[in-house]
Amino acid sequence: MPTGDRVPRTAVALIALAGVAGGGLLTLGATRTHPPPPRAAPGTNTDPAEGSGTAPGTPLPHATPAQITIPAIHVHADLVPVGASATGELEVPPPDRPTVAGWYRLGVSPGEAGNAVIVGHVDSRETGPAVFYALSRLQPGDRIHVTRSDARTATFTVDGIGSYPKTRFPTDLVYGAGTAPRLRLITCGGRFDEHTRSYLDNVVVFATLLP
Amino acid sequence: MKTQSILGSAALGVGLGTLLLPAAALADTTVSPATTPVGGTVVLTSTCNPKSGDALFHVTGPDRDQNVRSTTAAAGGGLSAELFTAGFTLGTYTVTATCGDGTSSGSATFTVTPIGGAPAGTGTDADNHGLLAAGGTLIGAATTGALLLVRRRRHAATHA
Repeated sequence: MPTGDRVPRTAVALIALAGVAGGGLLTLGATRTHPPPPRAAPGTNTDPAEGSGTAPGTPLPHATPAQITIPAIHVHADLVPVGASATGELEVPPPDRPTVAGWYRLGVSPGEAGNAVIVGHVDSRETGPAVFYALSRLQPGDRIHVTRSDARTATFTVDGIGSYPKTRFPTDLVYGAGTAPRLRLITCGGRFDEHTRSYLDNVVVFATLLP
Repeated sequence: MKTQSILGSAALGVGLGTLLLPAAALADTTVSPATTPVGGTVVLTSTCNPKSGDALFHVTGPDRDQNVRSTTAAAGGGLSAELFTAGFTLGTYTVTATCGDGTSSGSATFTVTPIGGAPAGTGTDADNHGLLAAGGTLIGAATTGALLLVRRRRHAATHA
């Protein structure tokens, strides 16, 4: 009889534990929400650097970038090279690695003459806020550091930030082949379309290499 | 009088030459727009004199080495051709132009870029779906277990 009593008590305890845990998870799932990412103001069609008066630093030679650090929004992330999809769309880092950012390897490297492009997720279905979640909070003058495979660190200053509809993406401003060493950071932003499960805008940060 | 006329003509010639020299030196090649999403069209323009024949644009880049012959007289003077970038590898291309008389007309670059923006966000609510699913599973298991226990006790009471 003692054994017979013990088994039901253990079972009752397990059932109660499962019930409590299940109830807790249901409550958490029903109430936990990540706030939407902060929004950036609509972007303009001119490079913010044109009015900043910041003299860019001397261009560096080509070197693969390894990490990006943005102290103002507590970003410190590894960089992986990305290219373009078969349809010609800019690749992004794998969705299962939302904490890394992607360097557009078909363009110049950060610090080289021209516009280097780094893209990162704003959020992820699986893990919530991602590497560039707070990108819209950057302000002109904030610093961006990119460590490179040649052991140099290219430091950029933010010239401006803007939000652009994906249907009117500012290709010239982002990829333009100028001679000054500049950096463009890209993520998603604006209104979220539940139907397509995607954001309607891209947020672009414009930055210039510091001397 | 004759000497003055000769001097005047010479001065006029030097003046005209001075004015025309920069124009000749400005013979150049441009590409518009300087960046285009892959599949877009760029216009190659050279300041070559159309009277000397077609200009030849030599396009080189990541996966390309091709010649494009001018097809039209450019609106502002010179010669131009359209270049369709479908199938181009993304990257930067260099265009050098040679005029019909064989003279070089300089060079320019253009960049073929990805199309549109970046799909860099998928929303965040799906993680809650996982929590709800796990919670529901546990509640279901607890309910099933409770029912089994109740049945077992009833069964035991009936046979006691």
